[in-house]
Amino acid sequence: MNTDPDVVWELFAGHYFMFAFLASLGVLQVAVSNVGTRGLWLTPHAGMTRWLGIAFVLTGIAVFFLQPLWVDGPWAAGSVEADSLTRSWGKASWSELAGARNVNDIHGGLDGIKQAMWFSLGAIAAFAVSAVVGTLSVNIFASAENSGDGDQTDSEANGLAGLESRSYIENLPGSFANFRADIGGVWRSGLVKADRWSLMNVLFGRGGSSE
Amino acid sequence: MNSIDANIVIWLNALSGNVKLFDDLIRVVASDYLMPMVFSLAMFGLWFSGKNPAERVRYQLTMLVGISALSISNVVVWLFNIIWDRPRPFVEHGDQLNLLFYPPTDPSFPANPVAVGFATATAAWTINRKFGWWMFAAAAVYGCSRLYAGVFYPSDIIGGAIVGVAVYGFTSYLRRFLEPLITGFVRLIRGLSAA
Repeated sequence: MNTDPDVVWELFAGHYFMFAFLASLGVLQVAVSNVGTRGLWLTPHAGMTRWLGIAFVLTGIAVFFLQPLWVDGPWAAGSVEADSLTRSWGKASWSELAGARNVNDIHGGLDGIKQAMWFSLGAIAAFAVSAVVGTLSVNIFASAENSGDGDQTDSEANGLAGLESRSYIENLPGSFANFRADIGGVWRSGLVKADRWSLMNVLFGRGGSSE
Repeated sequence: MNSIDANIVIWLNALSGNVKLFDDLIRVVASDYLMPMVFSLAMFGLWFSGKNPAERVRYQLTMLVGISALSISNVVVWLFNIIWDRPRPFVEHGDQLNLLFYPPTDPSFPANPVAVGFATATAAWTINRKFGWWMFAAAAVYGCSRLYAGVFYPSDIIGGAIVGVAVYGFTSYLRRFLEPLITGFVRLIRGLSAA
């Protein structure tokens, strides 16, 4: 490689994060539009949200693999070979585009651990964007939705179930309160039901088994 | 066994160089980024795909086991690599292969990317058979693309697939040793309105 691997790594990390963000946002939109989790929809309509999601996934893939055409990197036209050792810095050509991203991690490509880290950040960012835009969408279009369907809000529902009828901001306090109220019981009943070799049982004993 | 393995990879790799578009497609599929992203997105999407609270919890617990299996498969592959430092096909038969992918420096057996793909596919299969079969197909295509590219033997792919499925089974079993910590973790995420 004719370039410092750290420079290549930084470039790959930024591109991969954007890829993970767009693709995660797309998959999230397809999933939540299928199950009716309106609080995370980017648009007020399920069909539109689903198609938007598919568009995000395709955009993420296309941008990541086409980027070498307009961004300088270790894929200069004429230098892309299977081995990433002798690459030069520059823009890729169409004919070498398919192999442009095949850079060994010792030459600045992303190994599995770095990919897992950047994917997690991208997925969290996608969820956060969906929650914020979904909150705006639910609040702006709430009156129009409710006028036709009546108020179907289930005040007991929390977590993703609560997001079927509420925005993320409205749902969060109730969900967290439920978590705080339930977690003790979940833990005790979990210990009772857990395998006798459960590490938690070994550490904490069958504290709830007397019931 | 070794000669059959070598003959298959040499025969398959000999098909390269005829149709550039196909070779380019293989380069993209075999890359370190496309298929691992597909596997990660499958896990991420299934997390949100439960249609009711009970199904959602089942999906999410399975996804956590799947993600753990994915990590543990890497460790198992690494242990195999310590025991058997099998040279890559391009090292032993470089003069007969047209390498389409960068030459990896780690041992050949078992195929790490295939192990990860099959661990993920098994997780998906346990909660949705149809989707799971698609994931198995994706993992198999990923493995075959690396075979075509000349960086794995067929037995590496088969070994990787077995490792992935077996590690998922082992991780499912391992889950009981960590309960109720895992269920409590899902409840915490639900408290944050993300589960």
